[in-house]
Amino acid sequence: MWLILIVPTLLVIYLSLVRWEPILGDWTRAPFIGLANYAHVLADPRVWETLGRTLIIVFFAVSLEFLLGLALAVFSLGRFPGKRLFTSIILYPMMLPWVVVGFTFYLLFLDKGPVNYILIRVLGPGGAQPWFKEPALAIGTIILADVWQWTPFMFLILYSGLGALPKEPVEAAMTLGAARWQIFRLITLPMLKPVIVIALVIRALECFKIFDLVFIMTAGGPGTSTESLSLFIYRTGFVYGQLSYAAALAVLLLIAISIVTRSAIRPLEYREEAR
Amino acid sequence: MMDPPPIIRLRNLRKEFNGTVAVANLDLDVADGEFICFLGPSGCGKTTTLRMIAGLETPTVGEIWLRDQRIDALPPQRRGVGFVFQNYALFWHMSVYDNLAFGLRVRGIAPAEVDARVREIAESLELSPILRQRAARLDLSAMQRVALGRTLVVRPQVLLLDEPLNNFRPGLREMMRGELKRMQLSLGRTMIYVTHDQEEAMTMGDRVLVMNAGRLEQVAAPREIYRRPATLFVAGFIGRPPMNFIETQYHVEDGRAFLGHGRLRWEIDTRRDAIEHQAPSGRVIVGIRPEDVWPAVLAVQEREPAELTPARVELVQPLARKKIVDVNARGVALKMVVPGAFPVRAGQTLDVVMDRRAFHLFDAQTGRAID
Amino acid sequence: MTRAIAPPAPSSAAVTARLPRRVYVAWAARLLTAGVIGAVFFLPVLWMLSISFKPPTEWLEYPPTLLPKEPLVGNYTFLFNPGNPEGAIAVMTGAAEPVIPAFVNSLIVAPIATLLSVSIGFLAAYAVSRFRVGGNFMPFFTLTTRMFPPVAFAVPLLLFYSAVIPRLIPGLRLYDTRVGLILMYVAFTVAFALWMTKGFIDAVPRHIEEAAILDGASRWRVLFTVTVPLVRGGLAATTLFVFILTWTEFLFALIFTQRFAITVPVQVSHYAGAIGRFYGPQAALGILASIPVVVTGYLIQRHLVTGFTFGLVRE
Repeated sequence: MWLILIVPTLLVIYLSLVRWEPILGDWTRAPFIGLANYAHVLADPRVWETLGRTLIIVFFAVSLEFLLGLALAVFSLGRFPGKRLFTSIILYPMMLPWVVVGFTFYLLFLDKGPVNYILIRVLGPGGAQPWFKEPALAIGTIILADVWQWTPFMFLILYSGLGALPKEPVEAAMTLGAARWQIFRLITLPMLKPVIVIALVIRALECFKIFDLVFIMTAGGPGTSTESLSLFIYRTGFVYGQLSYAAALAVLLLIAISIVTRSAIRPLEYREEAR
Repeated sequence: MMDPPPIIRLRNLRKEFNGTVAVANLDLDVADGEFICFLGPSGCGKTTTLRMIAGLETPTVGEIWLRDQRIDALPPQRRGVGFVFQNYALFWHMSVYDNLAFGLRVRGIAPAEVDARVREIAESLELSPILRQRAARLDLSAMQRVALGRTLVVRPQVLLLDEPLNNFRPGLREMMRGELKRMQLSLGRTMIYVTHDQEEAMTMGDRVLVMNAGRLEQVAAPREIYRRPATLFVAGFIGRPPMNFIETQYHVEDGRAFLGHGRLRWEIDTRRDAIEHQAPSGRVIVGIRPEDVWPAVLAVQEREPAELTPARVELVQPLARKKIVDVNARGVALKMVVPGAFPVRAGQTLDVVMDRRAFHLFDAQTGRAID
Repeated sequence: MTRAIAPPAPSSAAVTARLPRRVYVAWAARLLTAGVIGAVFFLPVLWMLSISFKPPTEWLEYPPTLLPKEPLVGNYTFLFNPGNPEGAIAVMTGAAEPVIPAFVNSLIVAPIATLLSVSIGFLAAYAVSRFRVGGNFMPFFTLTTRMFPPVAFAVPLLLFYSAVIPRLIPGLRLYDTRVGLILMYVAFTVAFALWMTKGFIDAVPRHIEEAAILDGASRWRVLFTVTVPLVRGGLAATTLFVFILTWTEFLFALIFTQRFAITVPVQVSHYAGAIGRFYGPQAALGILASIPVVVTGYLIQRHLVTGFTFGLVRE
């Protein structure tokens, strides 16, 4: 079964080193052009632009999801009637297919959609925004959709993490005179760090690959201003047929992501601890 | 001569969890500077009581007073009470220094003073060499000292300790007991110490409070508890090997009072009235410590034959300087303690003597001692 | 005994009330906040529901209303029987397929893939955790499957499926088949399952298992009777997440299916057409599509509570 992983990886690397487009015929006979594809990729300003854009999306989306998820988790630690129902509602967005979320938010943010309608009623006629015609706003809607869909993920992880923390250090801190927010900042959060790191890493990885939402909501538009990396690769590869180029880009991405992820996960790897 | 007011007062303290009574109507005065031990089996409510004093549990009913201030409605932060946890509850992600400094820092005390006080306490607890180490990597004894130091450095009025020596192996445990007691004496601070180890409580405490199933059985100095247990439970819990108990029936014959069990019978006169008043049912449990059961040949004074009871040795357990011998005396199983050199083997018969003056009498119905 | 200071007379019994009033106020405040948050979260769903019950004339109506003026279930029935649109939705015609085949496919592919993935991932995680198989590198390598934008894998896999496999094993067709999809989903989610369950296994101290082994149990027995119950929460959480991943997966399904193995997310996109047109049925389909996940989540809920810490929180 590793076959399914290894063979495509090799194929991608192979593709990235040759020059090939489907219209050129048989791929096994494509001319070998070495690292020329990589050079093209690194020199292409579109690539860097798209990368930056994707990173912006990831940064804002994941940060918001983290903060909201944490707030919700802390909030949920208390008891109140209807908590079960509340939790179910909060978790629901995560269970929808991306396409559905994308399409729902698309409808919500139409020029004549409910969001604008509410804005007009609250802020007057100038309140309505051309959500999908302005790049900044379009990116905003995408971020919002992602946050809505994935905050539950963060919430669940953080909530369980909080629940699994040992109680006694918190009690000890109380007897030592620490106020609640002090305890949270000095004891709870640091103890939660490993969970936070993994949650952030996993979510950031996934968010980096964002495709479906963009595809459905804006198709990369207006123009290419909301094109995420995945969408870019898709376009270059499938729509324009420049598969080798796309492959090279993919390999570069893989290397970059590996390095970043590795350094983030390093503190959590196996170490023999003297105890 | 006036006694100083108690530093801690518990009044009618009660705690229920979902209908189960964990602590039932406890009243207690703790003197300033006293070392008092809460002793009892698991689940008897001693830890719950301790936690209520600290503010980690809320009483269902009752009051807690610290000096002249009522504290049972205050959160733990504002009580001025230090707590040492059974598993230390150190801040694992912090260094020893930060653990010690924590209580001072959250109060906003200036860093210079924090440093001075931390170093002072570290010095006295021999923690100075490991101040920079992470709390998670210490050995047990160091952890316990950090836990202690952490609370001492904020100078609480009262120190509460929840079975702090539980995780120590026996040899080290005895040593730490001595250390703790010494420290308490030199600091002069009130300590409430919870344990299930009766030897520990009896050797360390100025007073011992024995609890069982949420109820206070007896609170007194260790000698008193040993010599005059107030209830059946205390009598059976304190002392090793545990006290022998014989169920007897009180009856009067020809104007003479007797306590009898099967073929055994003892005449009693001095405590007749007490028995008649305090054990109306006539069922009296006689308790006698194994140390008070003697082989007749070792008895100090000459004994009349009527006082000798023949017994058959069932089991001999040799210890270092003594032996514990299980005997069967006319159908009653007894344990007795004999000097290590005394020759005795299973299957042997010998006469034993029980000094009536060493009898502890209890009303079989209420379990209370008859005095 | 006389006292230096006369203490305040202790009041009579039953002093402390059962629950102080401030607790009730706190509850009420929480409830209110929860209500507001819940409402905000629920709005998009509400809108979906709303559209799913509206006739075509109201879909893009302005000003938009929450409640349909003429509610109908036609959108839902249309999903099952698109050949005969009735009544107000008669305007919708066109090449839309009934959804049942897609549901069937998804209901076959997702659970099977999930079970396989979690099983393999769990066993692998156990091997890594207890026997250090593959050291630090192997588990990390499996994470690469998640790091790659799926698009990048798409082409090679397409080639793999349509060109290489038939050459290697004549007659074996994986393109546009459920089996093909399952294999692919398993390959790509196994890493996720591995990492999640690994954390929980790590949290179980070895000496518990070693004790059982000393008692004579074989490794397999130990695994099932000792370890699994302890990591139940983690397994439940992992299963739920993997199920969500496989159920909602879109890209590969889009590329690798054509007619026979279409899954629900792809089906939804068909209804979208060129980002337009059949909003009603699409919304209805969206609602329906989420039901299996919700059901699974509900069934697993009991186990989820201690779920997600990956065993990394230190005691």
